[in-house]
Amino acid sequence: MAVKKLSKEKLGEALGELSKFRLIAPAKSDDVVVFKQIGDAGEAFLGYGNSTVPPKKFAFPQTETLFRFVVGNPELNEKNVEEEGTTVIFGLRPCDARAMAIVDKLFSWDFEDPYYLKRRELTTLVGMACVEPPSVNCFCASVGGNPFGTEGLDMLLTDMGDYYLVQELTDKGKKLAETLSAQLEDAAADDEKKAEQMALDAKGKIRRSIDTAGIPEKLPDLWENELWKKVSAACLGCGICTYLCPTCHCFDIQDEVEEMGEGRRCRMWDSCMFGEYTVHASGHNPRPTRKERTRNRINHKYSYYPEHFEVIACVGCGRCINLCPVNIDILDILDQVVDAS
Amino acid sequence: MVDLTKLREMAKEVISREDVRELIGYRPGTYGFRVRPAFVTGPDDADDLVFTPACVNNLASYIVLEEKLPVKRGEEPDLRKVAVMVKGCDSRALLQQMEEKAYPRERILVLGIPCTGVVDMAKVQARFPDVLEVGEIALEGEKLVLSAGGTKEEVPKEELLADKCTRCRYPTPLVYDELLDAEVERFADDDYADVAEMEKRSAADKWAYWEEKFNRCIRCYSCRNVCPMCYCEDCVLLRLQPQWMRRSVDLSENTAYHISRAYHLAGRCIQCGECQRVCPVDIPLMELNRKFSKDVLELYDYEPGTDVENPPLLSTFKVEDREDFIM
Ligand code: SF4
Ligand code: SF4
Ligand code: SF4
Ligand code: SF4
Ligand code: SF4
Repeated sequence: MAVKKLSKEKLGEALGELSKFRLIAPAKSDDVVVFKQIGDAGEAFLGYGNSTVPPKKFAFPQTETLFRFVVGNPELNEKNVEEEGTTVIFGLRPCDARAMAIVDKLFSWDFEDPYYLKRRELTTLVGMACVEPPSVNCFCASVGGNPFGTEGLDMLLTDMGDYYLVQELTDKGKKLAETLSAQLEDAAADDEKKAEQMALDAKGKIRRSIDTAGIPEKLPDLWENELWKKVSAACLGCGICTYLCPTCHCFDIQDEVEEMGEGRRCRMWDSCMFGEYTVHASGHNPRPTRKERTRNRINHKYSYYPEHFEVIACVGCGRCINLCPVNIDILDILDQVVDAS
Repeated sequence: MVDLTKLREMAKEVISREDVRELIGYRPGTYGFRVRPAFVTGPDDADDLVFTPACVNNLASYIVLEEKLPVKRGEEPDLRKVAVMVKGCDSRALLQQMEEKAYPRERILVLGIPCTGVVDMAKVQARFPDVLEVGEIALEGEKLVLSAGGTKEEVPKEELLADKCTRCRYPTPLVYDELLDAEVERFADDDYADVAEMEKRSAADKWAYWEEKFNRCIRCYSCRNVCPMCYCEDCVLLRLQPQWMRRSVDLSENTAYHISRAYHLAGRCIQCGECQRVCPVDIPLMELNRKFSKDVLELYDYEPGTDVENPPLLSTFKVEDREDFIM
């Protein structure tokens, strides 16, 4: 596929061109970087490390109406994802894009989730390579990713100083490049070589790591190990580590009454770290304490997912480490898993 | 400064007591300058306990956060004490919990730490984003000394101090069984100037301000879970039948959540600042809590968590209570 370049002067113009689609890009809300729909190119903020909130909600909304209903009327007013239109997520990090590729496996597994898959079909992912790993807690290279990784992406941009190197990676990426034909230029002959070297350098700058070999196979044997009690003792049972994890995908389905006799059925993010997550109608809870919940979080990512889909469901973005209010650190937990017997 | 040798010795002695089940303190974190809660169940675990200006967590939350499994047939419930390390501000949480009769006084053993202030970890992180090695923060005079991986940096205390510490009224714990150091004189006061400033703004202006904030709330409920005063067994947020609060995340529901929580904390919030500290998207929740706190103080001369004999504000009524502000 072709390799082009986009001069930084033309970035605004290119974003303007892309805003004829539903354009999602990193933007500032006070000092917090979140992905949001951009109306005007100036709103995009590309001087970010990684966003606090990953862009996953644009594939898997935190709250999604599945259909609306009126009591007594058998007709349902169903959601049509198509109406959301073609979407471009611009400037996401390689780990977050790879996370979407990983979550795709779940939503197209034993049941093809029409809402999620339709939305993914309509979405083009334009990544921004991590020339500098944005956080000391990045560990993508240990779990199959890397700062210049392309998995899940349709197009990858690399900041080369005055311009971005633009790599088309899929047909969707190619189509997007056609849309931007007025802004893109041919890349210089040695640009790709330079980027390859930058990719190696960036990988070398990743500071945290874990040898995951054997972890998925070992976890089932540690079910009753005392480590779970220890690593979860400080846990508050909040949703930070899961809601802000780009691969977490648990949801609940609830009905909400909007007006008298009218309502909607919606699906909303859920978190295995919440106390009510597995409460049965009888009141029994098979995961009664944070010990069982923490054990589930780690097992889901590092055991169940590899078992079903042959990939670890953690992309090493480091968010759960950076943002946990009580410094529960997934790499520390995994170290203990490795050491346990 | 708390003497670490003394702290650990005392902890060993406490955890060896027959009537103590667990001791909650602090230990070094996994990276950078972070410190994490420690749960000590035997004398050996006490060796890595620390107390430094990095000990931000309010450990009083863990007293009410504990998940109790049903006692098995033939077994007795474990009624031994939990020992907990608290700074001045945190001690108010214990007092307020006890005012509310969350548990009897004799169930806890309070290890009070006279406190000279803790850092705002977000400020530390912003200033030293690249520190991975486990480091240490110490207070030397008016300077904080941050050392990690062989390097040392000095920063004037006020540049990294947590906001709550710049207006701390109770640096020495108001309740304790053991005090870990000499009492600290009050070094700051609170004039609620920030709230007065906010009160001056127009309603439209305030709404625009909060709209931006509430819009980005992801409803992770960390602010609730960390709060030492949010310990209702049956939380209004979790009820499905009837559903008082929808799970959906949008500006309207987020606003409803924050208004409900602020009201449920009125006259109860002890200003520890934990809710704001934990918020992953930096929502300045203390601005809401401080407004209520100021009102409660001005209208009823009541300061939660300062006097265990004082019944909770909202469960008492006096004929002379002011009501001229009610429409
Ligand atoms: S591990 Fe940390 S972020 Fe996750 S639920 Fe527990 S306290 Fe919250
Ligand atoms: S588990 Fe943590 S490091 Fe892994 S993808 Fe999720 S948030 Fe990122
Ligand atoms: S984990 Fe890797 S891809 Fe993700 S932000 Fe860090 S360096 Fe970039
Ligand atoms: S911690 Fe922050 S994001 Fe989470 S529910 Fe509270 S205000 Fe919202
Ligand atoms: S509302 Fe916030 S400041 Fe008040 S007691 Fe709870 S956590 Fe502390």
